[in-house]
Formats: sequence, structure tokens, C-alpha cells
Amino acid sequence: MPIDITMAWRNIWRNPRRTLLTVAAIGFASTALVFMLSFQFGVYDTMINSSVNIHAGHLQIQAKGYKEKMAMRYAVADPVRMGNLLNGIDDVKSYTYRAEGFSMLSSSDRTYGVLVTGIDPDKEKQVSTIKSLVRKGEYLSSSNAYEALVGSLLAANLKVGIGDEITILGQAKDGSVAASVVTVKGIFTSGIDEFDRSTVQIPLKTFQEVYSMDGAVHRVVVVCKSLKSVSMVKAALAEDISGIDEKYELKVFDWMEIMPGLLQSIQMDLISGFIMYIILVIVVAFSILNTFLMAVFERTREFGVLMAIGAEPGRIMKLLLIESITMTSIGIFLGMALGSVFSLYFQKHGIDFTGASEIMNQMGISGLMYPKLTLLSLFTGPMAVLFITSVAALYPALKVKSLRPVEAISYN
Amino acid sequence: MMKVCCLSHNSIFRKNINFRFAKEISIKAGSIPILLVSVALLLSVFTLPAFAVEGQEIVERAFNYMRGDASISKLEMTVHRPDWERTMALKVWTKGEEESIFVITAPAKDKGNGTLKKHKDMWIFNPKVNRVIKLPPSMMSQSWQGSDFSNNDLSKTDSLKLDYIHTIEGEEVHDGKKVYLIKSMPKPGAPVIWGMQKLKIREDGIILEPAYFDEDFEGVKKLSMSEIEILGGKLYPRVWKMEKLDEEDEYTMLIYKSLEFKKSLPSNYFTLSNLRNPRR
Amino acid sequence: MFVQMAWRNIWRNPRRTTVILIAVVIGVWSMIFLGALMRGMVDGMIKNGISTLTGHIQIHHEGYRKDPVIDNSMLDVDKLDAVLTEVLPEGAKYAKRIRVNTIASNARHSAGLTLVGIEPEKEKGISFIGEGVVEGRLLKPDEKRGIIIGKALLDKFETKIGRKLLIMTQDTQNEIASKSFKIVGVFRAEMEATEKNFVFISLKSAKKLVKLNDGISEVSISLAERGMEGEVAEKLNAQLGSTGLKAETWKELIPMLRAYLEIFDGFMYIWYLVVFTAMGFGIVNTTLMAVFERMREFGLLKALGMKPSWILRGVLTESLFLLVLGAFLGNVLGFIFTYATAQTGIDLSALAAGAEAWGLSRTLIPVVVLKDVFMANFMVVVLGMVVSAYPAVKAARFTPVEAMMMN
Repeated sequence: MPIDITMAWRNIWRNPRRTLLTVAAIGFASTALVFMLSFQFGVYDTMINSSVNIHAGHLQIQAKGYKEKMAMRYAVADPVRMGNLLNGIDDVKSYTYRAEGFSMLSSSDRTYGVLVTGIDPDKEKQVSTIKSLVRKGEYLSSSNAYEALVGSLLAANLKVGIGDEITILGQAKDGSVAASVVTVKGIFTSGIDEFDRSTVQIPLKTFQEVYSMDGAVHRVVVVCKSLKSVSMVKAALAEDISGIDEKYELKVFDWMEIMPGLLQSIQMDLISGFIMYIILVIVVAFSILNTFLMAVFERTREFGVLMAIGAEPGRIMKLLLIESITMTSIGIFLGMALGSVFSLYFQKHGIDFTGASEIMNQMGISGLMYPKLTLLSLFTGPMAVLFITSVAALYPALKVKSLRPVEAISYN
Repeated sequence: MMKVCCLSHNSIFRKNINFRFAKEISIKAGSIPILLVSVALLLSVFTLPAFAVEGQEIVERAFNYMRGDASISKLEMTVHRPDWERTMALKVWTKGEEESIFVITAPAKDKGNGTLKKHKDMWIFNPKVNRVIKLPPSMMSQSWQGSDFSNNDLSKTDSLKLDYIHTIEGEEVHDGKKVYLIKSMPKPGAPVIWGMQKLKIREDGIILEPAYFDEDFEGVKKLSMSEIEILGGKLYPRVWKMEKLDEEDEYTMLIYKSLEFKKSLPSNYFTLSNLRNPRR
Repeated sequence: MFVQMAWRNIWRNPRRTTVILIAVVIGVWSMIFLGALMRGMVDGMIKNGISTLTGHIQIHHEGYRKDPVIDNSMLDVDKLDAVLTEVLPEGAKYAKRIRVNTIASNARHSAGLTLVGIEPEKEKGISFIGEGVVEGRLLKPDEKRGIIIGKALLDKFETKIGRKLLIMTQDTQNEIASKSFKIVGVFRAEMEATEKNFVFISLKSAKKLVKLNDGISEVSISLAERGMEGEVAEKLNAQLGSTGLKAETWKELIPMLRAYLEIFDGFMYIWYLVVFTAMGFGIVNTTLMAVFERMREFGLLKALGMKPSWILRGVLTESLFLLVLGAFLGNVLGFIFTYATAQTGIDLSALAAGAEAWGLSRTLIPVVVLKDVFMANFMVVVLGMVVSAYPAVKAARFTPVEAMMMN
């Protein structure tokens, strides 16, 4: 065995130029794949995080039935207890409470039916980006003030500005009339029209007072330290709350359940990405197939001699495979190293998409994209390259089997 | 891979964040009884087959019986859900079918909340914020005070009379009295959501049950009247129960505490200022 | 001479040539075919955006976009017609619409959606509704009670053709207007959201419903071809001047699409470059092998007095053949694939929610853009020649002695 490896190694460097070019081709493909996959994963992370951050959170605790019916009475009665549970879970970064009620919102001119959300100003800013989206006026000042953050499109529809009063009229949790007048404190723009057209947020305590919530909330929104830890936290949380005896059974939902379309669109993008990568790998395989083939044909005489002195075709095949796998491995290793370096560099500094950044900035999101190097993005591409080049190497290696010593020696 | 870069921040969320509910509004249609019975009689000018004329006559006679030119009543309304129930007291003034005022008198928390209906329009008043708000069209199909009646039910009280053609389908006997079974089909083009209504009207003119059907003639909800007693000087059903046929154990019950028919009420009863500060 | 020699040289080792040819063919095929698919995707997104009631250009009352209420309608329609007739180039079409937010309900369901009053015959070629009706019939211009609704709404409302739909909205007098319509047709659109959010009635009945005597909410204009809209909108705005009306192009109406389009070309060409680089290594390696095998030959030729530049030319001509042949076959294959998929399109309905989130159509139909085809071929042939220069220069530099000594 060691002699085979030594022989293979020497053979590889018999034609250093060719070997270098082959290794470079493999290295290039691996670099490209590592970087592109890291980039894709990074963008998915950004996508998930920004939808998580604008509103949804990684996880939500809700009373069973609320997700479907959105009826006020399906509430989490004791949010503080949830908070205490969450404090005890390591991977939880932050959490907040929200309560919601469909209500009529009127200014002096107009009336619209919208969903009014009660938020805890201090906790909310650790969970969502809402504070940074406030374009006019200010963020909510305290958790029991009679003030509101209004989406920019809703504010335009209502024809209200900072300091104007709006009347909220809806139905409280106990069925009574919920009514209040709040002052517009801030106007936010998220860039998501649907959100900006239909959202008004008031302090949670105010909401609980107006809507007779009796301390209850509708959603406990949780942000985990990383996307990876979401499933772990979900499991831990599900176990913790299973024993709690509230009027309505409590349920934990993750972001995929809260936003099923997001997952599907990521899957779709992954599929189209993989088609492109596979084609790339095949192009590379054909590019380097010649190198492997040449390694056989140039040395037909040599193999003939080897066979004549007693080497079995299988051994020669093994020799050839060791050669090509060594070349591939060097290429892949270099590619992984280079790909990681690129990915890590941009992971730190971001990639600027000039064309889109202007519009993204308008939406309060930076135009910078960050790749994210993970074990998956590091290994998936190179392993595909390894697999396909090995298949490519098999063809010339199998050719050796059909060689006959006499013909081979006289081959020119 | 190309797709991700710029769409990531927008279109994804557009679809995923759950804001749709703001638009989706559950339906609660039907008809609020006090208005239903306070319908003014219009002489039918339609030429209809004899049985239809007869049906029309029975419905009109019933309306005639149950309505008053004007009325003042006190009611108790109970909204029942499988795991929840709530009761409130109302005072209601009506004049013809065009004008009415509803004011909540109990519980203390909701006292003073009122609804004024004039023709097709509705305003609501809340004493806590001390404001009158006109209901926009988008709120008309919303439930009224969390009950199984919608705002629409209150505003379109003349619908049953104007928008349907009534025919007698059969007869039954309840408590020794003859009850007509009437099928009411909407006139073509009438602005109603129902595919059909079925009425049960006692020979003395008391309406016992309107039931509401979709266009496949499947029942959607049903209003049933019971406990017929002397109220406001005549026999009158004291208990009205509106139930949804798709949902188990969900209904709204109205119980008359008092009812008084009047020849008329002054027009200034039905104004925005009176909504703010109703006469007791 | 050169040409013949080069051609023969290529086929001296047919296996090797075939292998590298396959690399080039697959590369070019993927550029052409995947390029067309990606273009198709973007094109679908734009077409979707435009045909989902946007058009190439829209004219509104200047306050309408910020505050789309019936008060912000355009009242002087005659003047608007005059301007449109004057400014619009040949082949352009336009349609007037009224758009209002309404509540639609039947016995069991109710939802807030957008009611659009249209001139049915004019919508053809402007928006999807012109040809989108798949069941029942189209609206007639003077349709009084007929309404066309989306398939998704039809399913959600558990209703069917012939059933009624009650529409409730606010009219110009600020009063509640309600009217019962009869479903006469069902439309399909690329996006489920479109099917759920829009219902159509005739412009005439919309005017009557909201008591808008002669006003309209928007004019949607479709030009003969995409590309002229900026210029036309500018002319329109110049003419509309002080009327309080404003023309905007789809790029202004759907800014996300514009942004997407802006970075798309870049991505496309980066992808081309990546694929090219992958095959570039193969091209260089193969050509190098071919050159080194013929070292003695080149030495001999030189000894016989052949100029280095001739050898350079010879090797480059060989590469050119290889590249052109590969590119040609790749193009042919790419076009065959594109043509085949264009017949039915690729069905994305299995990933409907994902596709919809991207603003994609349900079916993906590839689109060949000449610019891309040119770019792909240019890149492969020209850059291919550039990288072949390395082995060619090597070959030209062999000294006769060196070459003869070799082997």
C-alpha cells in the first residue's frame, strides 16, 4: 500500500503543470460552491431574522385556538409565569408580550378597522426592530401611557400626524366595550405595505386596561440566541408549559409554523440553487476528465510493462484512483480553505448590493448581505465535487482493465 | 441563488406575516328583532299569484301586529359561547323602521354606550372617550356588541319586507293555534346575502321563527321566539334566541323586561346629541 | 491552409477533443438554458406585476396613490382622453378603471377586498382580466349586475357561478352603498393573492354604485413594447401639467421590481463567469496537452523556418474551432431545451406558496434574451481564446533544439 501511494504521488508530479491546472479547476469549483452556499445560507438567515425581528419572533406561545380564530378570549392568562420559564432557558435571548384586538380606529376625518396591538415598550425593543423603524416622532415612552405608534400608510389614511388624537373602539376580552383615546407618538415605516397599513401599537398596560385583559396577553414572542437553538428551546418550552393549568391549553409555535410561506420560498431557492451547482460541478468534471484520461493513455506502454512484469490490472486501477483522488482532495482542500476565507471576510464586512441598497434603506434594512459559513455550506459543495470527480476518474481507471500487455507495450 | 439577494426583505413578508385577519371578518348576519317587528307597512304593489299574495299578506299582517309606530323597551341581552357568557341590559327607542337608538344601561362598565341608526347609517357613542363615530362600510358586517347580530342586521331592518317574495308552504299547529310556514325568496337583485328565509307566523300575527339559509338552501342561522305573554298591551314573545347552526352552543338571547308601544316619539330623540345624552 | 491544418489537428485525438467539447457544450448549454429560465423568472415577475392591474404606465389623481379613496378620483375624463389620444404612440392601449375598497359577503363568508370597475373589452392586452376568465363569461360593457371573481375567492366563499355576492362600500356622498351582484365569470391569475383580493364589475355599474358620475380612479396604459414607458410618461406629465393628474411607470409603481431588475444582470454574468472559469481550466489543460504532445512537430516546423507567429496562429485557430464548435452545439442544445420547456413551461405549483412569496408565476416559461446569448457566447469564445493564448505562446516559444531533445 505505501508503495502505491508513493508511486501515485510521484506520478502526479510528473507533469506538474497539468496537475496544477486540474487542482486549480477543482479548487475553483469548491471555492465557488463554499462561498455561494454560505452566501445563500447567510441571506436565508437575514430573511428569517428580519421577518422574525419585525414581528414574528422565533417562537410564540399562544393559547390553543388563537392562531386560527384570533378571538380575544383565547389568551395566555399568566404571561409573567411564561417570562419566568423563559428566563430559565439558556438559549433564549429575549422575549416580549403582546395582546391584540380588532378595533375601529378613528381620527376626526376617517375611520378604519384595524388590529390594535399592545406592546411592552422595554421588552419589545429587544425583540423587534419596531423602535428603529420609527421615522417620525418617537418610540412609546412608558408602558401605561395613552399613546400609539401608527404605521405610515395607516397614518396617511387616517390623516393624522404626531400629537393628533385617535379614538380606539373595540370589544374587550370580557365582551364589554373597549374605548380609548390615544395620542400619536410615533409613525413607523417597515416597507411592508400590509404591515404599515394595518398596524397600530399601544403600550401593553394601556391595552390591558382598555381591553379588560386582566393581565393576560395573546402572544409571548421569543427570540432565541441563534436560529439553531430554536428547536431546542421549543422542545424545552413545550415541556415546561405542558404542566401549566390555564383555561386554554398553551401551545408553542416556531417561525416555520407562524410563517409557512417563508420556509417554502427558502426551499424553492435552495432547489434552484442546487440545479445550478450540479451543472457547475458537471462542467468541472468534464474539464478535468481529460487530465485523468491522459494519465492513462500517455502511460499505456508503462502499464503494459507493469503488467508484463506481473502487476495485476486491479492494482494499476487502484494506483490511478489514488492519483486522481489525491489531486481532487488537494483541490477540494484548497477550495474549502479559500472559500472559507472569502466567506468569513464577507461575513465580517458584508457585501454591498448597490442597486438594491437604496430601496432597502428606505425600508430600514441595510443593503449589506452577509454570508454565513456553516459546516453544511463548507462540506456540501466540495463533497459533491469529490463524488462527481471520482465518478469521472473511474472511467479511465476502468479502461486499464481491458489493456493487454502486448498491445499496450506496442502502443504509441 | 440570484433570487435571494433583493427579494429577501420584501416579498417574503408580504405574504407571511399574519395580517390578513384584519380583512377577514366573520359574518354575523340576521336581523335584530325589535327592528324586525317595528317595520312600517308598505302597501304591496306587486302583482303576484294568489298564494304569494296570501303569503305577502300574512307577513305584512304579522309585521303590522308586532310593530308599533314607535316603541320604548328594556331588554336583557346574553351572548353565550361554549366557555363564556356575558349579559347586558339595553334600552331601545324606535320610530318606524328608519330611526332607532340602543343604549346600554348595565353593566356599569358599559353604561352609556349607544348606537343610533338613521336610515342606512349608523353611529356609535362611547361615554368614556366621549365621542361619536360613524360606522364605515367595512365595519357593517362586524358583530354588534359581540353578539350574533351584525351591524348590518340593525341597519337593514326593512330588508325582509322589501327584498323578499313570501309564499305559504304549509301549516302547523302550535299550542292549539294555526302556524303558517312561509318561504321567503329574495327578489332578483335585492341586496341581501341570504338565499332564502323561512318564517313561522302564528295565525294571530306573532312571528315565531325566521330561519336564514344560504344559496344552497342550507340553514345558516335561526332566530326563535318563545314565552308568549302580554307585553305592551298585547300578546308578544318575550324571549328571542339567535343561534348559529354551524357552531355548537353559540347563541345570543334577548329577553324583554318591558315593552311599551307609542303612537309616536319626537324626532329629536333620534339625533347625535341624544345619542350622547339619551333620555332615560 | 491554417484552417485545414487546425481542423485536422483537433481530430488527431478524437477522444480528448470530445471530452473537452462536452465540457464546453454543457457549459454553454447551461448558460443558455438556465439563463433563459432565470430571465423567464424575472420576466414572469415583471409581467405579473404589470398585468396585475399595473400596466406599463398609470395615471391617477396626484393624491390617489397616498390615499386611495374615492374622493381622489379623476373627474375631467374628456381632457384626459384628449391628452391620451395625442400623446400615446401607435400600438398603445389604455383602459379606465374605478377601484374601491369594499366588503364582499355571502351567507357564510365576508372579506375585505378591492372592487374594480373595468371596461371589459379594453382590458385585453392591458391586464390579466382581459383574458383571465376561465369559467362562465366575460363582463359586458353595460353589465348591470354581473361580477367576475377569482377562483381562490370562489373556493373560499364556497360559492359558484350564478350565485350572488353582496358588495358594500362607501360612495362619494360618504354613504354606505350596497348592491347584490351575480357571479357570471371566474378568473384565474398567476398569484392566489390576486384571485383573492380583486373582483371585477363593469365600469358603468361601478360608477353607479359609488355615485361617481363621470369620474374614474385610474387609467392603465399598455404600450406596444416594454422600454418606452419612461419617455411616454414624461410626455404625458408634460401635457397633464396642472390638471392635478400624474402619470407613473411600473418602475415607480412597483419599486421592488426595479431594484430586482437592477441587480439581476450582474448576477447573471457572474454566474456565466463562474461556469466559464470551470471550463476554462479544462480548455487550458487540454490545449496544453495537445501542444506538448506536438513539441517535436513544432520544433521541426521551426527548424524548417516557420515563424513563431504562425505556430501561435495555428494553435489559436485550433482553440477557436474547439470553442466555436462547442459554443455552437451548446447553443443548439440550449435552444432545444428552451424551446421544449417553453411549450408547457415548468410547473411550480408544488411550491406554490414559495413561488408566490417571490412574486413568481405558477408556471415558469423560459425567455431567451439576445443580450444574454451574445454575452454567453462572447464570454466562452473570447475568454476561451484569451486563456488559450497561454499554451499557444508556449508552443510558439519552443526552440527547435529544445523540442527535438524532448522525449
